[in-house]
Amino acid sequence: MSEPRGIVCVVDDDESVREAIASLVRSVRLDVRTFESAQEFLAAEPLDAPSCLVLDVRLPGSSGLDLQRDLRAAGATVPIIFLTGYGDVPMTVRAMRAGAIEFLIKPFRDQELLDAIQQGLERSRTERREQAELAELQRRFESLTPRERQVMAEVVAGLPNKKIAAGFGTSEATIKLQRGQVMQKMQAGSLAELVRLAARLGDWRAPE
Amino acid sequence: MRYLRSTLWVGGALALALVLAPYLPYPFLFPFLACVMASAWFDGIGPGLFAVLLSSAVVDYFFIPPVHRFAISLPELPYMLSFVLFAVLAAWLSAARRSAEASLRQARDQLERRVEDRTSELRRTNEALRAAQAELAHATRVMTMGEIVVSIAHEVSQPLVGVLTNAGAGLRWLESDPQDVSEARAALQRILRDGNRARDVLAQLRALMRKAEPKKSLLDLHVAIAEVTTVVQGELAREELSVQLDLGARGHRVLADRVQLEQVVLNLILNAIEAMRGAVDRPRELRISTRDGEPAEVGVWVEDSGGGVAPEDRERIFEPFFTTKPEGLGMGLAISRRIAEAHGGRLTVTSAPGRGSRFELWLPVTRSAQEVCGPERVTPLG
Repeated sequence: MSEPRGIVCVVDDDESVREAIASLVRSVRLDVRTFESAQEFLAAEPLDAPSCLVLDVRLPGSSGLDLQRDLRAAGATVPIIFLTGYGDVPMTVRAMRAGAIEFLIKPFRDQELLDAIQQGLERSRTERREQAELAELQRRFESLTPRERQVMAEVVAGLPNKKIAAGFGTSEATIKLQRGQVMQKMQAGSLAELVRLAARLGDWRAPE
Repeated sequence: MRYLRSTLWVGGALALALVLAPYLPYPFLFPFLACVMASAWFDGIGPGLFAVLLSSAVVDYFFIPPVHRFAISLPELPYMLSFVLFAVLAAWLSAARRSAEASLRQARDQLERRVEDRTSELRRTNEALRAAQAELAHATRVMTMGEIVVSIAHEVSQPLVGVLTNAGAGLRWLESDPQDVSEARAALQRILRDGNRARDVLAQLRALMRKAEPKKSLLDLHVAIAEVTTVVQGELAREELSVQLDLGARGHRVLADRVQLEQVVLNLILNAIEAMRGAVDRPRELRISTRDGEPAEVGVWVEDSGGGVAPEDRERIFEPFFTTKPEGLGMGLAISRRIAEAHGGRLTVTSAPGRGSRFELWLPVTRSAQEVCGPERVTPLG
C-alpha cells in the first residue's frame, strides 16, 4: 500500500513528555513529529498523510483547546488526543464535543495512548479516503459544461426529458444526448447513483 | 529587746535634759517627747507607752519639784498630767503613722511584685502569641500548599508520564524484531533523568515545607555577594552581559545563614540573566547594588533590563510552582521570599514591562558584635 502508515504529531511543552511519547510511537513503527507549542505546530508544513495529534491541554501561550478551535475553524480535521494533568469534566466534555478522540489524564498507560493513536489514525485514513472521493467527484462535476450541469440538476430533481427540453426550449433528443454525457462524465451507472453522487456533492458544497 | 531600746531612748533624753537644765526652764519637755515619739516610731505602741511611763517617772524624779523624789506637789500636778497626756498622744500618733507607713510600704511592695508577675505573665503571653503567629503563618502556607495540590500533581505527574511512557517504549524496543537495544537504552536513560526530576521536585517541596530555623551567623553581606558573583562569572561572560556592581551600603553586617543568603542572591542573579536572554533590542545590563535603609536595614537590589514582569504576575511569581519559564519549576522565588522572611527581611519586585525588573531583598542590619550577643539577638518573626 502506497499510503504511509501514519504520522503522529505531539504538542507538549515538556521535553520529558515529548521525548517519551516520541520513542513510544516510533517503537510501534509510526512516524512522529514533536512540537513545543501550538504556534510551532501551526507554523509547520501541513502533512499529506494519515495523521493524528497528541495535544497537551496546558500549554504556554495558547492552550490545547485553543489550538483545537483554531484548527477546526481553519477546516482541519486532524483527530486529536488530549493529554491533561487534571480530569476537568467540563473541559473534557468541551473537547469531546469538538471531536476529540480521547481525553487521557496524566499519567496514562502507554497502551491507552497507543490505542487512541491507532483509533485516531484510522479515523484520519477514513477521512482522507472520503476527502479523496469527494475531490474526485468534484473533479468530475467540474468537467461538465454549464448546460450539462443544468441538465443534471433537472434530472436529479426527477424531471422527464420532455419537460427538461421544454424548459430549455430545445429538442428532447438534445437533452437525451446531454443526459448521456452527464451520466458518463459523472461515472454514474444509473439514475439512482447520479442522485446519490449529487447528494454527496451537495453536502460538500453546502457550507460554502 | 524593744523595751530595752525604749529604756535607752529615755536614758538619752535624760542625759540631754540634764545637759540643757541650766539653760531652759523646762528642759525635759522636748527631749522626752522626742524620745517617746522615737520609741513609738521604731518599736511600736507598746514600747512607746513604756517610754511614756519611764519618762514620767524620770521627769517626776529629776525635774518636778520636789526634785529627787517621786512625789508630786499639787501645783505641779496639772503640768505633769498634761506632759503624760501629750506623751501618750505623741506615742500613739507616732506609732500610728509608723504603722500606716509600714502598711503603705507593704502595699507598694505587693503592688510591685504584682506588676512584676503581670509583666512576666504578659511576656509569656507575648511569646505564646508570637509562637502562635509563626504557627499561623506556617498554617497559612500549608493552606496555600493545599490549594496548589493540583500544581504539585502536575509537577510530579510530568516526569511520571516520562517514566511510564519510556518504560513502555523501552520494552517495545526490546521486544521488537529486530531488537533495538540502543533505543531501549536511551529510554532507560530518560527514565533515570525523569525519576531524578521527580525526586528534585520532592526535595524542593520539602525545603519549602521545612520549619527548621536557619543557622545564623554574623557575616558581611558584601563578601557574600562577591562570592556569588564569582560563581556566576562564567555564566555572565557566556551571556555577554554587562555587570555593574555597586556595593554602597555602609551597614552590611547581617545575621544570616550564609548558604541560604547566597542561595537567594544567586537565584535573583540567575533570574535576571534568564530574563535578559531574549532581549536583543536593548542593552543587556545586570546591576547589583546595596544600600542603607531605615531603620537599620540593608537592601540588595538586583536589576535587569529584561522583559519585566506583568502587573498581574507580580505577586504570583512568589507563589510556589508559578513560573513563566517553560523549564522552570516555579520554586526559586517562593523559597527566596521564605528565606528573606525567616531572616526578618523581605523580598519584593518592582517592574516596568519591557524595560526590566528590580528585585529588592531587605535584611535587618547588625551594627555591632555586642548586638549579636545581647538579649535582643532573637529577630522578631515576620
